[in-house]
Amino acid sequence: MGDIKEEDWNLPECKYEYLDHTADIQIHAWGSTLSEAFEQCANAMFHYMTEVEYIEMKESYEIEVEGHDMMTLLYNFLDELLFIFSAEPNYIARKVQIEEFDTTAFKIKAKGFGEEFQLGKHPQGTEVKAITFSNMQIHENEGKCEVFVILDI
Amino acid sequence: MVVRQYNEELEYLEKKSPYKWEIKKGFQPNMRVEGVFYVNKFLEKLMLEELQNACRPGMIGGFLPGVKQIANVAALPGIVHKSIGLPDVHSGYGFAIGNMAAFDMDDPQSIVSPGGVGFDINCGVRLLRTNLFEKDVQPIKEQLAQSMFDHIPVGVGSKGIIPMNANDLEEALEMGMDWSLREGYAWAEDKEHCEENGRMLNADSSKVSMRARKRGLPQLGTLGAGNHYAEIQVVDEVYDKWAAKKMGIENVGQVCIMIHSGSRGFGHQVATDALLEMEKAMKRDQIEVNDRQLACARIKSNEGQNYLKAMSAAANFAWVNRSSMTFLARQAFAKQFKLTPDDLDMHVIYDVSHNIAKMEQHYIDGKPKHLLVHRKGSTRAFPPYHPLIPVDYQLTGQPVLIGGTMGTCSYVLTGTEQGMNETFGSTCHGAGRALSRAKSRRNIDYNDVLEKLQQQGISIRVASPKLVMEEAPESYKNVTDVVNTCHEAGISKKTVKLRPIAVIKG
Repeated sequence: MGDIKEEDWNLPECKYEYLDHTADIQIHAWGSTLSEAFEQCANAMFHYMTEVEYIEMKESYEIEVEGHDMMTLLYNFLDELLFIFSAEPNYIARKVQIEEFDTTAFKIKAKGFGEEFQLGKHPQGTEVKAITFSNMQIHENEGKCEVFVILDI
Repeated sequence: MVVRQYNEELEYLEKKSPYKWEIKKGFQPNMRVEGVFYVNKFLEKLMLEELQNACRPGMIGGFLPGVKQIANVAALPGIVHKSIGLPDVHSGYGFAIGNMAAFDMDDPQSIVSPGGVGFDINCGVRLLRTNLFEKDVQPIKEQLAQSMFDHIPVGVGSKGIIPMNANDLEEALEMGMDWSLREGYAWAEDKEHCEENGRMLNADSSKVSMRARKRGLPQLGTLGAGNHYAEIQVVDEVYDKWAAKKMGIENVGQVCIMIHSGSRGFGHQVATDALLEMEKAMKRDQIEVNDRQLACARIKSNEGQNYLKAMSAAANFAWVNRSSMTFLARQAFAKQFKLTPDDLDMHVIYDVSHNIAKMEQHYIDGKPKHLLVHRKGSTRAFPPYHPLIPVDYQLTGQPVLIGGTMGTCSYVLTGTEQGMNETFGSTCHGAGRALSRAKSRRNIDYNDVLEKLQQQGISIRVASPKLVMEEAPESYKNVTDVVNTCHEAGISKKTVKLRPIAVIKG
C-alpha cells in the first residue's frame, strides 16, 4: 500500500449507471477514452458494495493484470479488484485510476485509492459474486467509449 | 442468436398441457433434443413477456431470455431426454436459472459446464425443526431475531467467527460435514438428512486455486448477501399429515428455522477459474456452442475432471458453511430459551442443494444410464424407495425445500415417481426473480417494504438497506404459483407450507 498525494484527492465525475437485468446487475460505464470507461466500470462495482461517501482515501493499492484480448483484460481487471476486496487486504476503493494501459499486449497497471473495508464504518451494500462475460460489450469510438458488464449478484 | 419476430418465435413453442410447454427443435440452431418448461398461466405470461422484450428491435445491453437459454442448452453435446425449465425459470448466465439438463457419461462427446451449476456452487436450503410453537416464541421474537443476527455473520465484508486456519480449510474441503462433526459443530444425525451425507467423495482440494482458498477462508460460516437468508418460520398449513409427521412436523404453529446459503466467495472463485480454463479447452476440442457463456469441457477431459473435483470441494465447503450456521442458530435459540439445542429438538429435517452437478443413474427408454445431471436453480426431488434418500424418508420421498423471499412463504415438498420420469427427479428451487435489482431499487420504497413486513408480524434484521428493496416480495415471482405448478404438473408434491416470523439477511 502507498501514500496518497494531494493531487489524488480529486474525484472523477460519475460516468456509469446500473441497467436492468433480471437476476444480476448490469453496469454501463463510459468515458472519453477506453481507459476512463474501464476506471468508471471499476468505480461502479465498488460503489455497489457500499455507500461511496463512506470510503476514505487513506492509502493507495496497486494492481497489475493482463488478458489475451480486450474482454479478458476487462474481466481480469475487475476480477482482481473483486479479489482484493474479498480476500486480504479487503481493500475497497473510492476511485480507481489506470496508470498504464497497454492495448496491444493487453496489460493494465492501476491504482486504487481507498482503505480496508470495515464493518461499522462502511454500510453494507450488495455482494458481488463474480464478474461475467455475459453480453459483455466494449465499444470504442473517437471521443466516446462505452463498456457493458454484467455482475453476478 | 436467431433473430425473428415475436409471432414467428411463438410457432416453435407449443402448450402441451395447462402446466407444460414444449420448445421445438429449430427455435435455436443445432438443438439435439427438445426443450420443455413448466408454467401456469401467471408464470407463462412472465416467461413470454421476457421473450417478447428480447424481440424488440434495437435492444442495446440486453440479455438472452430464459426460453432461448433453455434451447441453447438443448444444443450442447451429449444432452439426453430434454433441456428442462422449472416454473421459477428466468434468464441467467449461460444456462437459465431454474434449468436442468443431463448428459450421458458414456458418450465421449458429453460435456460438463460450470454455467450449468452457477457461481454459487451448492447453494442450498436447510430446514431445522424445534419442539416450540408460535406462542412460545412470540413474546421474545424480537430478542430471538436479534440474537440470530448477532450470532450469524451476514452481508458484504463480514467474516466467519468459527476459528479456522489454512489447514482446517484443507480438511473441511476434503471431508465436508464429517469435518463439522469431528470439530463438534454438527450432530451425527445431521449428516443423514443431507444430500450425499454432506460430503462429495470425489472432492480434491489440490484442484482448487490459491485465490479461491484466500477468498473462502475468512468467509466460512457466513450467510452472505443477495437472496440468502436465515429465517424463523412457523408451520402455516399441512397438506400431507403423514409425510409431515415423518419429518417431525406435528402441527400448525410449530417453529422451524430455514437457512439459505452457499459456498460463498470460495465457490464463486472456483467457478470463475473453471470458466477461464474452459474457454481455452473449447477452442482446443472444437466444441461449438450457441452462446459464449455456455463455456464447457468434455467430461473426460482434464479441464472437465478438474472442475468436477474442485466443484465437489466447493460443495463440501457449502455444507460446512450451512453446518456452521446451524451450530450458531442452535446456540442463539439455546441462549434465549435457556435450554440445550437437544432439549429443543433442533434436528435437521433436510438439506438440499440447488446449484450442483451430480453423477446419477436414471432410466432412459427403459435402460439404466449413467448421467451427469446439472441442476442450476433446481432441486433434486427423488421419489419414495429411491436408494439415495435416507431411511426416514424412504416411504414419503425426499423432502424438497423451497425457500421463499423476504416475507413470503416457504414450502416443503416431496419427490414423486412422475418427477423421476419427466425431470430426472428435479423440481423448482424458489420464487425466481421477476423484477431487475436496479428496477426494484428505483420503484420500491424502503419504508413501504418495512411497514408491510411489520403489518404481517415479521421481524426483520438486514445489514444492507438497499437489499430491502432488491429483495422485496414484489421483485419476485409468486412462490405459491411456482410451487403449485410443480404440484399440479406432478413433478413434486406439497407437504407443508411455512410462514416467516423473523428474517435475518445480508
